[in-house]
Amino acid sequence: MTAGTPADGLPARSRGVIALLEENCTVCMLCARECPDWCIYIESHQEPVPGAEYGGAGDRRRVRNVLDRFAIDFSLCMYCGICVEACPYDALFWSPEFSYAETDIAALTHEQGRLREWMWTVPPPPAHDQGQRPPRD
Amino acid sequence: MTPEEIIAAAGAGLPPEVRCEPDHGGVMLRVPPGHWLAGLAFARERLDCDFFDWLTAVDEADEGFSVVVHVYSLAGRHHVLLATALPRSAPRLPTATGVYRGAAWHERETHEMFGIGFDGHPHLAPLLLPDGFEGHPLRKDFVLAARAAKEWPGAKEPGERGVPGKRGVPRARRRGPPHVPHGWRPA
Amino acid sequence: MAAVDLPLPGVAGRPGTGPGPGVITVGAGGGCTLRVFDAGLACCGVEVAAALRRSGALATVTASQQLNVFVVAGTVTDKLAPYVLKAFQDTPLPRRVLSFGACANSGGPYWDSYCVTKGVDQFIPVDAYVPGCPPRPEALLAGLALVLRAGE
Repeated sequence: MTAGTPADGLPARSRGVIALLEENCTVCMLCARECPDWCIYIESHQEPVPGAEYGGAGDRRRVRNVLDRFAIDFSLCMYCGICVEACPYDALFWSPEFSYAETDIAALTHEQGRLREWMWTVPPPPAHDQGQRPPRD
Repeated sequence: MTPEEIIAAAGAGLPPEVRCEPDHGGVMLRVPPGHWLAGLAFARERLDCDFFDWLTAVDEADEGFSVVVHVYSLAGRHHVLLATALPRSAPRLPTATGVYRGAAWHERETHEMFGIGFDGHPHLAPLLLPDGFEGHPLRKDFVLAARAAKEWPGAKEPGERGVPGKRGVPRARRRGPPHVPHGWRPA
Repeated sequence: MAAVDLPLPGVAGRPGTGPGPGVITVGAGGGCTLRVFDAGLACCGVEVAAALRRSGALATVTASQQLNVFVVAGTVTDKLAPYVLKAFQDTPLPRRVLSFGACANSGGPYWDSYCVTKGVDQFIPVDAYVPGCPPRPEALLAGLALVLRAGE
């Protein structure tokens, strides 16, 4: 019982699991705030941007957010996709994988490492369907 | 019957306190509570609305509750909505089961969810809520306790470490969990 | 208006007969028979029904007994919980429990409701959890394979 891809007969854009591309995440917290199930857990801290400790006029340090923890609790997730749509930086992606049942419910909370693993199963974006509204950008 | 014919018939056959207006392809009759049964009987007998669809309530905050009924005529294929407004302090209405027997379960549900009394109902026991449930859940002031008990994942600001509130974001601008009144705690 | 007596639901026009458990034979040569008792409480019940129709697609797992699997598929409300418990207790031994879908796992989208039990594991022991809302029928078959392996 392995992955589903469109080649395996699953429809395009099938919603199986959500993958995280950590490099795109700026810890804006929008996904965690918009999630109706409160199932995205984010922890972060701030670090100064290397090489920009003192930048220009005003002598103000530039800082960036660093992700400490990004977890999705798939025992609660209802696969609505609001997080994927809300992310302004395209850090969250849909993958059609559906075979990740567990015997322990705590194991259904996927941490950063596992969410990155799902990225390798994200299919390329399918072509637009006939008659679909043109993309906004 | 077309909406215009229904409105004309209601204007002729019902007291002037009943207001009629077109609504979503059908007609909405706004009936004062005192004329509730008269309005239902009129819809059944004179407007030929023999199919009872649903009865429910709307929490209108300070204006009290509205009780709304949707009935339909199978022969005439027209929809009629009847609505009445009840004060928040004493929401009681005569039961519709004398006119439409199918209203029995709808009134039971509306009673347990909103706390509206239906006088003359044969069996106004709770329908969907478990025994011992306190409160009327579909009222707007009923808070979902789980949202106050679980820590909201979005409480932290971006880049904030530790307990929310330690960073420099002023309290007035800080967001709380959605749909939980500020400072509310489960009993 | 007089009360009307409605006939009891039944199979193929025979009133009072309910559907029996789905049966899945696992393994080459019929190594194990799974009898699946589905508590199809809500939308997930449709997916379980679809999965049971496709039974026979289960991967080969070595086992040597008949196993009864109680599948909770759908939202468990506080009012219905005692009946789900009774249905579990009526499931003959040896038995396993499979929680199917987000509502049965943890309350799912209705986690904040005033009347939903936050997961069927609040009152019965669960052997495997299948995530999804709803999970695909294939995910049930994968979950059953997990239940079989976990029982050994």
